[in-house]
Amino acid sequence: MPLRIGVIGTGFAGSTHARAAVGLPGAELRAIAAATIAEAEPLATELGVRVSPDVPALCASEDIDLVVVASPTYLHAEHVIAAARAGKQVFCEKPIARTLDDARAMVRACDQAGVRLAIGHVVRFFPEYRRAKELLDAGTLGRAAVATLTRGTLSVGATRAWYLDAAKSGGVVLDLMLHDLDVLRWWFGEPARVYGKRVADRGGLEYALASVRYDDRPIVQLEASWAEHAGFRTSFELRGDRGMLFHDSRAVVPFVVQSPSGAAGGGVIPAPTLRETPYRRQLRDLVERLARGEPPLVDGREGLRSLALGLAVIESADRNDVVPWTVPA
Amino acid sequence: MKRLRVGLVSWAHVHAAGLARTLATLPQVEFTGSFDETGAAHDGPAHPTLDGLLRASEAVVVASTNAAHRRDTEIAAKAGVHVLCEKPLATTIADALAMIDACRAAGVQLGVALPVRSSPAVAALKEAIDRGTLGRIRAVRGTNPGQYPGRWFGDPIEAGGGAAMDHTVHLADALRWLLDDEFVRVHAELGSFLYGLPVEDCGLLTLDLASGAFASIDCGWSRPATYPTWGGVTMHVVGERGTVDVDVFRQSLTHYDDAAGVTKLVGWGDDLNALMVGGFVDAVLAGRPVPISGADGLRSLEVVVAAYRSAELGRPVAISEVA
Repeated sequence: MPLRIGVIGTGFAGSTHARAAVGLPGAELRAIAAATIAEAEPLATELGVRVSPDVPALCASEDIDLVVVASPTYLHAEHVIAAARAGKQVFCEKPIARTLDDARAMVRACDQAGVRLAIGHVVRFFPEYRRAKELLDAGTLGRAAVATLTRGTLSVGATRAWYLDAAKSGGVVLDLMLHDLDVLRWWFGEPARVYGKRVADRGGLEYALASVRYDDRPIVQLEASWAEHAGFRTSFELRGDRGMLFHDSRAVVPFVVQSPSGAAGGGVIPAPTLRETPYRRQLRDLVERLARGEPPLVDGREGLRSLALGLAVIESADRNDVVPWTVPA
Repeated sequence: MKRLRVGLVSWAHVHAAGLARTLATLPQVEFTGSFDETGAAHDGPAHPTLDGLLRASEAVVVASTNAAHRRDTEIAAKAGVHVLCEKPLATTIADALAMIDACRAAGVQLGVALPVRSSPAVAALKEAIDRGTLGRIRAVRGTNPGQYPGRWFGDPIEAGGGAAMDHTVHLADALRWLLDDEFVRVHAELGSFLYGLPVEDCGLLTLDLASGAFASIDCGWSRPATYPTWGGVTMHVVGERGTVDVDVFRQSLTHYDDAAGVTKLVGWGDDLNALMVGGFVDAVLAGRPVPISGADGLRSLEVVVAAYRSAELGRPVAISEVA
């Protein structure tokens, strides 16, 4: 029997995950819920599935096995815990939560219910980052010495007001830098200390830098920006003692359209040009693992650790001091 | 046209050959030749003694090792010769102060050879900032990575440090000028990872400015030997009303060279050394203060000294702790 999926949230993440579920082998999208029925309806109609009137109704549905939580960050804990108590497997968009307390409660609830909790650190499914990890692991680059990872987009706040409220979203550090902090932990393991700087104008400019040091090596710089007004961009440089890798998302676009009426309109994140999007790879991987009875690639504890590293960057920026990194319990 | 008689003191620095070419070609310069204590043969007239070169010159470019800048500058100043000193100005704050004092006492000008301000792209950024087009500048991510220059650059005595001593001052100076601001706090992560050197070959500085803006400088010798050019200088500038990317050496052709078996970038942008040396010479000829003074060189050296202290202590260090 296919894994039957219900999605909470219809923003960028919710709609992306819902579309990724359509036609996925071994899975079947059944229902969509949002803050209101009106918000859920357009996506549900587009994808030909039913609207669940609210989150409790979706979690109580007997024909749903996996709940995808893609609500605003500050609601993740409430929704994940509700799904777990209803005995559903859970996939939660990153960041796992806004606070460590919430994240711990989510992990505990899923453990107690005996369900899996997966966290959507989707960059681990982006082929350019996977290929870099393969080259690192194979020793092709030698020992990593320095790395720089950047991630920027135009301000997302105009369309999603809750992003601009740091108490609800965690700002650009938990939105964007968290991806690259998770990549670091995946590529290099746990760092030794972090030093962060940020601009966090309420409702305005958000930009952050972090200097992340491992015991001995590497030295890593991360940049996260909501002031990349030309649109979404990621880059990384990875220097080992035997070579170096460069990636710039603006330099690897294989399909460019122009028209006399102006530039082709793009979303916040440009359309991917891969047969299978990283979001779909992520969901397919989870569906396959659940079918085999295996834990997810990025589970709740792993998501909690990456969140803690993001919170350490914010703490460092706010205290103007170095914050030693210890893996949270 | 009045020309300034300018000589070159020492060929120790990797920039010496380019500086000699510049001096030989600038229309407002009469190149008086060079002195090199190794006695090796070089382009242009060679003077067997430093005194001889100084007697023939109204100004000199000092391109000796970092640790020798003070000695050569003091000798030139005593001879009444203006000095354009390779960067960094010196390896210690005490040396930099002594050089500034020596030139002031002798009534000669002291300049520092920092070409980044001369870039038309950087000048365009300066204009945009000064006009207010970008709003208040809140952050700058700067990078100035390069290949390992070899020679004495990895020698802690002659160079006074490693990549941080070699590269930091370019962007530190440019940022002070661009933002009309001063650094107040420095955090640094340094490491010797690539060449087995007794000095750092990788480094990342994170800096606070008095206005509340922050910046970073990647100063590493982290570009691999197969990289198609020596390195580069970039700035990602975040203002309240706009974001700017500057890539100082972006103007280049990509040359796939089968004969040499390499791919390399062939720059075609303006010659920043010529603009920088020309700016110094024009100021001396006109009796104006030189564009980048010894005091400017001292300010950017303070950032380097604070960076070493920060890496040693594992915490951010205030400029006031080292100045």
